Amino acid sequence: MKEIAKVIYFDNAASTKTSSENLSLFMETSANYYANPSSHHSLAYEASHKLSEARSDILKALNIKGSSVIFTSGATEANNLAIKGVAYKYASRGRHLITSAVEHPSVLEVFKELEKEGYEVTYLPVKEDCSVDIDSLKAAIRKDTILVSLIYVNNEVGSINPIPEIASLLKEYPKIVFHTDASQSVGKAEIDVSEADLVTISSHKIYGTKGSGALIKKNNISLSPLFNGGGQEEGLRSGTYDLPSAVVLSSAVKNAVKNVREYIKTLTPLKDALFTYLEANPALYHINSPKDCTPFIINFSLLTKKASVVVEALSREGIMVSTRSSCHEKSNDPSHVVMSMFNDEKLGSESIRVSFAPDNTLEEVNYFIETLDRIIKELY
Amino acid sequence: MDNKYDLIMIRFGELSTKGKNKKEFISLLFDNLRNALKEYPSIYLERRYDHLYIHLGEAPLSEVVDIVKEIPGIHSISLVKRVDSDIDEIKESALSLIKGEKGSTFKVNCKRANKDFPIHSEEVIRSVAAVILKNTELKVDVHNPDILLSIEIRDEGTYIFFKTIPCLGGYPLGAGGKALMMLSGGIDSPVAAYLLMRKGVRVECVHFASPPYTSEGVLIKLEDILSQLSHYQSEIRLHIVPFTKIQECIYKNIPEPYCITEMRRCMYKISEKIARKRNCLVIASGESIGQVASQTLASMRTINEVTSYPIIRPVAVMDKEEIIKLAVRLGTYDISIRPYEDCCTIFAPKNPKTAPKLDEIKKYEEKLPLDELIDEAVQNTEVRVIK
Repeated sequence: MKEIAKVIYFDNAASTKTSSENLSLFMETSANYYANPSSHHSLAYEASHKLSEARSDILKALNIKGSSVIFTSGATEANNLAIKGVAYKYASRGRHLITSAVEHPSVLEVFKELEKEGYEVTYLPVKEDCSVDIDSLKAAIRKDTILVSLIYVNNEVGSINPIPEIASLLKEYPKIVFHTDASQSVGKAEIDVSEADLVTISSHKIYGTKGSGALIKKNNISLSPLFNGGGQEEGLRSGTYDLPSAVVLSSAVKNAVKNVREYIKTLTPLKDALFTYLEANPALYHINSPKDCTPFIINFSLLTKKASVVVEALSREGIMVSTRSSCHEKSNDPSHVVMSMFNDEKLGSESIRVSFAPDNTLEEVNYFIETLDRIIKELY
Repeated sequence: MDNKYDLIMIRFGELSTKGKNKKEFISLLFDNLRNALKEYPSIYLERRYDHLYIHLGEAPLSEVVDIVKEIPGIHSISLVKRVDSDIDEIKESALSLIKGEKGSTFKVNCKRANKDFPIHSEEVIRSVAAVILKNTELKVDVHNPDILLSIEIRDEGTYIFFKTIPCLGGYPLGAGGKALMMLSGGIDSPVAAYLLMRKGVRVECVHFASPPYTSEGVLIKLEDILSQLSHYQSEIRLHIVPFTKIQECIYKNIPEPYCITEMRRCMYKISEKIARKRNCLVIASGESIGQVASQTLASMRTINEVTSYPIIRPVAVMDKEEIIKLAVRLGTYDISIRPYEDCCTIFAPKNPKTAPKLDEIKKYEEKLPLDELIDEAVQNTEVRVIK
């Protein structure tokens, strides 16, 4: 690879750069609170106190009451715990589950696994703006439905599901547990997860550290644990507490929620500039993100070139973007999200995701547009 | 009496037929073995006329056997006990060792390479068998024994052993000169490279990179593949040829059905130049007859016309399943199927010629500045050494 003077990082939905504040917080906590919070001596009590503080800060920041925070190794584990946890715990109530066709693989694959175990799953279709239609959700609910799991902000196209409306609808069904994967929504949209029974959050999507996340659980919900051991996290997640990661997650959530309006204000002109360029070239691009998507994630498909080639060419110019989502380890299949929106294999296969962080600038977006435009015209 | 086997006997197989080169081959194998086992300081290698011996010392037997089994040029190995060539000692050891074996019937074989040993092999067999019959419950079965006890009487002593473990065969690496292997990143070429190495041929690799049409990820993939093959050859040189300009020139100027043919012709021209520079005696490729349009015999002929250099295609006659089976065993399969596009897949035309005509392709290519582009590509080739 040739030397790149400056890197423009537009792949923040895949992972963000850990903020220097969070990085020092991690190191300080590791250095000063190294005792195991489960032990019984004063150092352990201090660590344990820190952990409780982290939990209550997260709940406060997200305006959630009557819930507890289960720290996990990230959103994938939290999603697995939520879905399998409910499916196994409440199997005697019923074995029907509802999700949507555009979920993250760490949700979809869990449902596919449960189908093999005899559960029935309804995959709700989405509208062209990638959101779930509340009427079709209502129609899908059955007597034996025990779980609804829906993503808040879509990781590929940045669309926003009407989670508060769905939560209040589901209040009428006390036997249904409602889970939302909010990993990509914290700090990217003004969210309300106060009525959801289970909420997944992730640290590295909001300038925290990799390998850290949490499932937030209403106190009246029981779950079946994924693994067994020392009984930490109310027996739902055994394993020595990772205090530094928990403290960083709490700081990351607090900051993201506090600053979200300002972030949106900063990034909206960037989104607008990119939309304007893409809309002006309808022969070259198809915009997959809905107009009202979060300004953090913009997805479009190439109509004349291969997305993998363009991503590589951009990378050689120092611009980092993704084709579809980066969460598919070994797959050349078209994006299931774009396919669900438009049912067009070409659009699904040639999609590019540009995802911002608040420190990205309009200047960077203009350089990106200029480079993309040149590449598209130069490439064979 | 110590029952532990602390010695591995190594047989050369194909090497035995090699007459006057034999000494050189054995030296090479000796060096390759020493290199492969350098992590085990207690190991001592002993060289004899017909065999090599590994004295294990403290080294773990099973680990050493696993390593030795993958070294080209070894036909088979046995775990042996060496005793003095004295009939009483032979009898005592044989009896003691056979007690550790499972089964109810046995047979004794004896080879008397040291003709100075006074007792004929038939006589050795009879007296050893007699001792075993007298002191154990075992019975003799000369046709289908559970336990085959082998005794080899040699100058330096007598070897007693039971099982023979088949190994890789082939020739020691380096015995067969050097080849330039065309490596795409797919399933076939790593297998072809391995087959060459097994035949004692040292391999350098050439890869054609067409960024941005091919991903940087391919190079990581290649390095991972080659480090799997480093069990067989500890250092592999990889030549990365910048191929984008040539590819663009071809696709802009030549009718689509002929593009792959011309691309392959250019690859062979470049390979020949690199092979000459690096003293590689042959070019090798992972082509398999009929697998894709450019690998039909007719295509191969039209492509091959660009060079008089010898081309070896080790997997040419193998079926895809056979190749995959080997790739899985080598540990390269899972790496090869990673989804990065290589220069053969990205431009894949819809209707490639399966029988491209030579005069046609020549008519197309004579108008293009391909020779200059080829020289430029060779000049800008990047080299990485994978260990």
